[in-house]
Amino acid sequence: MKRGTWIGGACAAFALAGALAGASLSLSQKSKPKPPPSKPLPTVDFNRDVKPILSETCFKCHGPDAATVMAGLRLDSFAGATAKREGGPAIVPGNPDASKVWMRISAKEDGMRMPPVHSDVKPLTDAQKQTIRAWIAQGAQYTQHWAFRPPTKAPLPIVRDAAWVRNDVDRFVLARLEAANLRPEPEADRRTLIRRVALTLTGLPPTPEEIRAYLEDRSPKAYEAMVDRYLASPRYGEHQARYWLDAVRYGDTHGLHLDNERSIYPYRDWVVRAFNEDLPFDRFTLWQLAGDLLPKPTTEQRIATGYVRMNPTTSEGGAIEAEFQAKNTFDRVDTTSTVFLGLTVGCAKCHDHKYDPISQKDYYSLYAFFNSTADAPLDGNALLPGPVAKAPTPEQAEEMDRLQGEVAAIEQGVDSGTAERWLLAQKPVPVELGKWEVAGPYEAKTFDEAFAQDFGPDPGGPEVKIDRRPFELRTGVVVGNVVGKENAAAYLFGSVHASAPRKLDVGLGSDDGIRVWVNGKLVHDQKVLRAPAVDQDRLAIDLNAGNNDLLIKIVNSGGGDGVALTVGDPTSRRMADVAFALSFPSLRERNLPDLRRLYLESGPETPVAVRYRVLRTKIRDLDAMIPQTLVAEEAPSPRPAFVLKRGQYDMPAQRVSRAVPAALGSLSPYEPKNRLGLAQWMIRPNNPLVARVFVNRIWQQHFGTGLVKTAEDFGNQGEWPSHPELLDTLAVRFVEDGWSVKDLHRLLLGSAAFRQAATVSKAKHTKDPENRLVSRGPRFRLDAEVLRDQALFVSGLLVEKPGGKGFRPYQPSGLWEAVAFADSNTARYVQDKGADIYRRSLYLFWKRTSPHPTMLTFDAPMREACSVRRGRTNTPLQALVTLNEPAYFEAARTLAERAIRSAPGDDARLSWVFERTSGRLPTLEEKALLTRALVRYRARFAEAPERAEGVLSVGDSPRDATLPAVEHAAWTLVCSTLMNTDEFLTQH
Amino acid sequence: MDPRREHELLLTRRQLFGRTALGVGTAALHTLLRGAGIGGGLMAADQIFAAMGGQTGPRGKAKPGLPGIPHFAPKAKRVIYLFMNGGPSQIDLWDYKPKLDEKFDSDLPEEIRRGQRLTTMTSGQTRFPIAPSRYKFQRHDNNADGVWVSELLPHTATVVKELCVIRSMWTDAINHDPAVTFIQTGSQLPGRPSMGAWVSYGLGSENEDLPTYVVLHAKVSSGKVDQALYNRLWGTGFLPSEYQGVSLRSAGDPVLYLNDPHGMDRGTRREMLDDVARLNQKQLDHFGDPEIAARIAQYEMAYRLQTSVPELMDLSKESEDTIALYGDDAKTPGTFAANCLLARRLAERGVRFIQIWHRGWDQHGNLTGDLPMQCKDVDQACAGLIKDLKNRGLLDDTLVVWGGEFGRTVYCQGALTRENYGRDHHPRCYTMWMAGGGVKPGITYGHTDDFCYNIVDKDGAIINPTEDELTPGAVHIHDLNATILNQLGIDHTKLTYRYQGRDFRITDVHGHVVRDLLA
Repeated sequence: MKRGTWIGGACAAFALAGALAGASLSLSQKSKPKPPPSKPLPTVDFNRDVKPILSETCFKCHGPDAATVMAGLRLDSFAGATAKREGGPAIVPGNPDASKVWMRISAKEDGMRMPPVHSDVKPLTDAQKQTIRAWIAQGAQYTQHWAFRPPTKAPLPIVRDAAWVRNDVDRFVLARLEAANLRPEPEADRRTLIRRVALTLTGLPPTPEEIRAYLEDRSPKAYEAMVDRYLASPRYGEHQARYWLDAVRYGDTHGLHLDNERSIYPYRDWVVRAFNEDLPFDRFTLWQLAGDLLPKPTTEQRIATGYVRMNPTTSEGGAIEAEFQAKNTFDRVDTTSTVFLGLTVGCAKCHDHKYDPISQKDYYSLYAFFNSTADAPLDGNALLPGPVAKAPTPEQAEEMDRLQGEVAAIEQGVDSGTAERWLLAQKPVPVELGKWEVAGPYEAKTFDEAFAQDFGPDPGGPEVKIDRRPFELRTGVVVGNVVGKENAAAYLFGSVHASAPRKLDVGLGSDDGIRVWVNGKLVHDQKVLRAPAVDQDRLAIDLNAGNNDLLIKIVNSGGGDGVALTVGDPTSRRMADVAFALSFPSLRERNLPDLRRLYLESGPETPVAVRYRVLRTKIRDLDAMIPQTLVAEEAPSPRPAFVLKRGQYDMPAQRVSRAVPAALGSLSPYEPKNRLGLAQWMIRPNNPLVARVFVNRIWQQHFGTGLVKTAEDFGNQGEWPSHPELLDTLAVRFVEDGWSVKDLHRLLLGSAAFRQAATVSKAKHTKDPENRLVSRGPRFRLDAEVLRDQALFVSGLLVEKPGGKGFRPYQPSGLWEAVAFADSNTARYVQDKGADIYRRSLYLFWKRTSPHPTMLTFDAPMREACSVRRGRTNTPLQALVTLNEPAYFEAARTLAERAIRSAPGDDARLSWVFERTSGRLPTLEEKALLTRALVRYRARFAEAPERAEGVLSVGDSPRDATLPAVEHAAWTLVCSTLMNTDEFLTQH
Repeated sequence: MDPRREHELLLTRRQLFGRTALGVGTAALHTLLRGAGIGGGLMAADQIFAAMGGQTGPRGKAKPGLPGIPHFAPKAKRVIYLFMNGGPSQIDLWDYKPKLDEKFDSDLPEEIRRGQRLTTMTSGQTRFPIAPSRYKFQRHDNNADGVWVSELLPHTATVVKELCVIRSMWTDAINHDPAVTFIQTGSQLPGRPSMGAWVSYGLGSENEDLPTYVVLHAKVSSGKVDQALYNRLWGTGFLPSEYQGVSLRSAGDPVLYLNDPHGMDRGTRREMLDDVARLNQKQLDHFGDPEIAARIAQYEMAYRLQTSVPELMDLSKESEDTIALYGDDAKTPGTFAANCLLARRLAERGVRFIQIWHRGWDQHGNLTGDLPMQCKDVDQACAGLIKDLKNRGLLDDTLVVWGGEFGRTVYCQGALTRENYGRDHHPRCYTMWMAGGGVKPGITYGHTDDFCYNIVDKDGAIINPTEDELTPGAVHIHDLNATILNQLGIDHTKLTYRYQGRDFRITDVHGHVVRDLLA
């Protein structure tokens, strides 16, 4: 519908767009035959005008999906459309009347007409048919989809009102406005501008002091200086990170099934830092996709790869690994495509893409980049399913460096000779283990039975003949497959020789249950289900002089099984090992550092050794406090990747190797065939998509709608950009300027376009209802997080504590309980106490299966799937949140308290509150209205003081009890009124 | 912009900038607001509503759906969806297999299992011993050949003449999270809109004073909540958030943040909202942005919600006879029975999609200990709901759906005795039922083999259903969803939303209306 009108006005409104396609037009006009008699020929641009029609109407059956092409006809390429066919080619360039396509789309009979009447495709409008006719007449040129060509800087358009122009952005905007006979709005006043800039960059409104400073700055660069102040604020990174976290679907839980907590918040904090430090976007991209593959990756580069691990995961009982290996990888591919390439490739999971040149093979070639990470397909419901990295805060890193430096210095100071003499004097005596034998397996019906039952070897039972076989039991490692059956047991017989009675430290590990007898006496009884590891259980056993009998029973429930035995306490074992190593000249040098450490740890308690031990404890304690975070690593060898038929994990077809979609280019020989190569390809200056897609999202943040409205789709089905040349120019400039996001903000915010007033006349609204032409300043409802943060900020409640674990604010009871699995560690919501509940919403603990309701009500995504464009709804439930949610109402109460304390008299107080909430001063009329309200509320509360107490009881923060309750309550309602106005809730 | 929203804004815009004599312009709206003095606010609100094109009245105005929807005359105006989360055992409830008795503890024949995948909870078992149901079944007359119902569902058995029992449901997923996400959103991976959200989006509301899509969580008497739910199951995915399911809660605020702070009476709230509206009106005059007019209207709707929800939740006017239909549990807020009664009240008030979630149906072990309790929670209330709807003439245009995300295996998981056993997940065949809303009453549909393992035709030959085409005798999840939409007058292939360059729909690229189920 809309596209029809694009054609009608093409000559006037889109002369610029036409100019871009000029080359192909002039070419086609040469061969152009006579135009159709009745209509003048509009100038047709294939990408802008024709392809959307073909894509929408024809490609489903005549498009890139090789499997579903009907009648062998493809209309997605010149070659396909003009190929010789029985009855004539579908398209004869320059001659619509000889083209089958024209005959079929203009056919009168239902049976002949395309698209088929009974298909689910909408019929073509007359305007669309005429566009296709005109295009064929002009030569039926196919040009590559605009977004798949590298962007180029367009020449700056000539505009009439050059005085309005502040920077290059404005030339493009104004040219379109002038073509549409629209005039921009005048510049907004300074109070509006500072609020707009502050909210845009930091997600918080300006303080009255900041407003004052800006109003008083008469320098010609006052606006730019103000923008720079907000860009330099640490709040800037917090606000910008939020958009990114939506895109990468950041959450503090796994997201599927049990939805247990996962620790990946260091990634979130890294994103904040990256924006604040203006980490260039190319590096920002590279680190996230492949930081682990860089040479000697830094901690930050590793933390950034949390991006790859962000997909929701599961460990649901019964889940099949191979299935989730595939699903996890799908999610990574789909998200990466949307976030960086603005492409939806998911369709090609099951078949070649219907609209974009992405084949199924392309999809699985992308898939191959992501299917070989080292993380297990199932997360084990663990907080830190590996691989993980330590993510110290800068302070922690500094402290750790200091402690380790001191430790190293002490170690250096130890004389090796002294240490060795000490070690040899300890005369560590190894115990001697005899040969081992095994009996079993003995099967039972259940694990319980197998564990409890005496199959014969148990001491004290009747004598039974036992069939023993020799068994190789190496100490210090896990020895697998002892039992080899499910619900079964095996027995290990061994002996240990001691020259005198003594205690012996023993470490045990087992899969699953284990019982141990020494000289016929049960000394260990562990009925567990577990995987084996060294030293899972530690005990000290009593040995007699001479030989002692050891008997170990291992009971397996199912799957693999195993046992692990260590003898001696760890320090003695280490002493023995070091002493042993030192006796070999070739190993000596290498073991000296360990010798010095051993001496300091276990040698004489000299003051230095004491200091050393204190330091080591400090290091251990600090280490335990350093957060860990999920990171990506490659598996030692790549997993093979296959085209999966119908996207089914268990239906592999042809094997594929790693490659980028053919239509978008290919990796160069210098780019490694792994995630690093993929990332390097993305940040090449001539990558057609990455810069465009990101620049567009920043535009969307500032202006409410992207230049490409479908920010998630730059493919054939995406919307044609409102200002294609502007988008391309911004993209090229962004790359030329070193991918600096802050510079990009400066450019956009510095434009006259951004600085327009947001007012709109009826006439202009009719012409530009969605402000796609940027005929006025941006105006839209603030996002969920900004709304909450703003309420807390103006009231003085906001606690600006950066980073760390997510916090848990007020939340109605029962929300998590209503959905959670009883065993989940996020099954019960326990609100935090004290200052934490007033932190910025960015730091909310994000449970993906039940995010905070105030967020969802205001259109925040669940963060289970990638989202690069939030909706902006307007609903009654939103009104209930800002009216009644405790944090909002508490903010009103606290704001009231501050107002009463800050200014004397109703008049001054009203101005004070008004300025805090809206950034401006009230009109006389507004003041009168609010004064009347105040008087009314005072009277009401004076009649019923208990009501005042009720109103004042909302929220955890203490109230200043010296304030009269009636007065305070009345002001609370006035504040709540202001915090529910459209003006407060809106960016304008 | 979402086309529906675009449409609404256009309406608003037209009213604001209306050129016809009947149109109410900004100035007029302004006057209306200004005219509303203290205490006269409610009238002002009604007038605003009238000005915005709505009718006012006890039920609140309807909100139109997408242009062109319904695509054809609907049989059902609304859906009540009773979701049994976890996977109820069809073998112990609905799919009578008398021949299994003699096969107790014998191995599931390989020609029946046919190498089908199993969950890793039982794929390691060395044996797959048959566990016959220990429950007695009885044949009940319906409008066809009768239906065998387990003794665990004595009340439901009394309404089988209203039920369309589908024994041949099948699904793609074998674990809970993917399976329940699949049946609710048409995709095993998160991110897509739920069925209720699609319906709200497509059909709009019959009563704007209540949410279009309401979700109720029922208590489970056994206290076992060992399977999870997820907000996404009633979420909107990429659809605008206004279509998300709104939970009606039995404790605390029935709708989140519905109640005003202690100490604020209705009059004060009214005055405050009038002031907010007046301040907003000034902004509207200044900016000319119709979103501001929309916001004024939303605040009025919030006020109405504050009245209509408590009225809805108040069961005191329900007669003893009515309560008796649902059982005594209906007097305890939050029970499945109380929620069923609420569902009827919601249906009466024009709520489009009502979904009750009952958990605890995942009987991997101790089935005979737990399943009777689960059934006791829901049995009488299900029957009561059907009867109550029928008595009030609501069953004709209300579609009731009962079932879970998959079925359970005939073979035993864990220890097997005659008295007790467990069952693993089984996606290849299971039972759901529907009632009212234009489905054939009193029939059964589909057959399974003697082991309740495969879908078979009426001669007992195994069917290999595919989701690519309608397989007679088998009902895939997409088919069920297509059929539910069909009853609401929606062509499932045409209720689409363009996102990421693709027209998404709840049935993905599959789904066929199962006409055999329809009256």
